Amino acid sequence: MKRAIVTILVLVILTPIFSYLSELVEYSEPLENVAAMLNVEEKGIYSGIIPDYRIGFLNEYISSIVSAVIGITLTYLMIYIILKIKHAKK
Amino acid sequence: MLLYIILITLGDIMHIPDGYLDIHVAMTLNIISFITMIYSLKSIESKESIEKLIPKVGLVSSGIFVAQMLNWPIPGGTSAHFLGAGLASILLGPYFAILAMASVLIIQTLIFGDGGILSIGANIFNIAIVPATVAYVVMKLFKWKKVGAFFAGWLSVVVAAFFVGLETGISSSFAYNIAITIPVMVIWHGILGIIEGVITYMIYSKLGGRLI
Repeated sequence: MKRAIVTILVLVILTPIFSYLSELVEYSEPLENVAAMLNVEEKGIYSGIIPDYRIGFLNEYISSIVSAVIGITLTYLMIYIILKIKHAKK
Repeated sequence: MLLYIILITLGDIMHIPDGYLDIHVAMTLNIISFITMIYSLKSIESKESIEKLIPKVGLVSSGIFVAQMLNWPIPGGTSAHFLGAGLASILLGPYFAILAMASVLIIQTLIFGDGGILSIGANIFNIAIVPATVAYVVMKLFKWKKVGAFFAGWLSVVVAAFFVGLETGISSSFAYNIAITIPVMVIWHGILGIIEGVITYMIYSKLGGRLI
């Protein structure tokens, strides 16, 4: 339990490092770049509240840490709600 | 050049954006995924108390969320990340795993715009339902569970990739048909999936078995 939380926190801290490494090997959102050549369009009818894990006023590395924390919290919360409802119904 | 373009485009689309699937393909999968999620919700059972269950399922889900944020640096412009559905399935069982992965996907889509909103059913089908089921079946077949964990992780990704190839290939909005999309997806993820298998094996070995 404690170990799981520590592991998750380590992964959170790793997110900016991985995004930096991906940039080093020229990771550049290939999907959008070549989608046009494949005759498909990414029809962005909805781009989310925090599109691409970027928070406008923060730099991208801090953005990824904050996004990770928000995502983890919301995911956990969702499981919490699902299981509570299921339990209540029993 | 063309093959390379297809590879880096398809290689990256485990999370299918809107516009890649024909509307009838997307809607069919929305319905299938919705029904499967309801069925999973009805089928989850555990002798454990809710106080013990929530942290186990919650932490696996949260861990997978952040693990999916870590893009492995692969030279050449494509990207890949840990999928986690196979791992979730062998740790939590298929029904909890489907709900855990669906939760991750819903947060990714609604909050971060990762994966299309109309293709959310397709993404839940490919990234939650299919790999969780594959991993469950693989684990049943293997006597040596640790070896099974590797194959559960690996094959869950390969079969998921097959379905992504199938769905995009049969969609007329995507320029290439299944004769190209399926082999490209399966071969590419057949290679990448080995990493998924190794990680799944390592975590499963470390934890020493199912959590629930």
